[in-house]
Amino acid sequence: MKKVTPKKRSLFKNKTLIIGCGRLGSSMANKCSLEGKNIIVVDKNPDAFDRLSDAFGGLTMVGDVTHLDFLQEAHISTAKEIIITTGDDNINVFVAHIARKIFDVPEIYVRLDSPENEVLLKGLAIKAIFPFELSYDKFNVLRGGRK
Amino acid sequence: MKIVIAGGYQAADYIIKKFKSSSNKLVVINENREVAQYLTKSNRIPVFYGEPYKYFVLDEANVEDADIFVALSKVDTDNYVSCLLAKKVFNVKKCICIVNNPKNVDVFRDLGIDSVVSSTQLLATSVLNESSLENLIKTMSLEDEQIVLSEVVVKATYDIANKRIADINFPKTGNISCIYRKPSVIIPNGSTIILPKDKLLVVTTPAHQKEVLNFIQKDK
Repeated sequence: MKKVTPKKRSLFKNKTLIIGCGRLGSSMANKCSLEGKNIIVVDKNPDAFDRLSDAFGGLTMVGDVTHLDFLQEAHISTAKEIIITTGDDNINVFVAHIARKIFDVPEIYVRLDSPENEVLLKGLAIKAIFPFELSYDKFNVLRGGRK
Repeated sequence: MKIVIAGGYQAADYIIKKFKSSSNKLVVINENREVAQYLTKSNRIPVFYGEPYKYFVLDEANVEDADIFVALSKVDTDNYVSCLLAKKVFNVKKCICIVNNPKNVDVFRDLGIDSVVSSTQLLATSVLNESSLENLIKTMSLEDEQIVLSEVVVKATYDIANKRIADINFPKTGNISCIYRKPSVIIPNGSTIILPKDKLLVVTTPAHQKEVLNFIQKDK
């Protein structure tokens, strides 16, 4: 692991760590960057970062988030919030548990495709986002409650 | 005993054969259709086809209150989630999880999996054990292998430990030329006492090396 000088370390403090740079991760990264947040985005596929806009001003890192060493390299221990958005629910749950139980990141958000996995987050103060439920709710709103 | 075997191919097959008996109730789940069919055929037991990290699969397979849940899938995070589901939702008593990445052993334990097994870690441990056995005796040959210098670490169980060299009746075919006792080196004489953890440098001829080493390593 590279040594970080104290000056550099302050740059990484209070940052937002975004896991996965798919459609959800990249759009969040772009928006957070516009808001002026300090961001690190990680993905195992370097091509995924093509989705980031030209205005994106954060850091990108390529690696496997199921490796604890890599998460440490991405400065998970000093992160203010972590947003976990990979397409694999199992990886998302695993990383969320590491973020809470090992590094105790203050704010943890996790994307889950399957609502059944919510039981695994019980009592851990991890906030879950369910894209499919959100789409369904939106659909109902658009339909205006008609049957 | 109710045992759930989730995922895996050869390992699953082996464990099924090992634990298949009237006293054990086996529940086998596999996410690969061909493997599931193979396991059914070769062991003549029902196999549930589905991903063991999904709630409804575990529910359908009726894993509730099982005694042991073994997760054998190739993907570490899949195993992690199936074990957690089994434990938290289905009240399984003990979970055993296989991991590919040996670094995950500690991580999984920290996150609450009962027992984590890594074949790489087991391999590393046995390599270490083997090499420390080898280290016990180091040999060096001098003058075209006419003189052999052997290095032996004295254990507390050896007969010669805690005795004066004059009293142990050391074989005439060899000689303790030097004792390394941290941090100093001792050139021994008859009144020197050999202590446990001493490193002895012994000079012998090749023909007598075995005899002398056997003498030193003789237990009380």
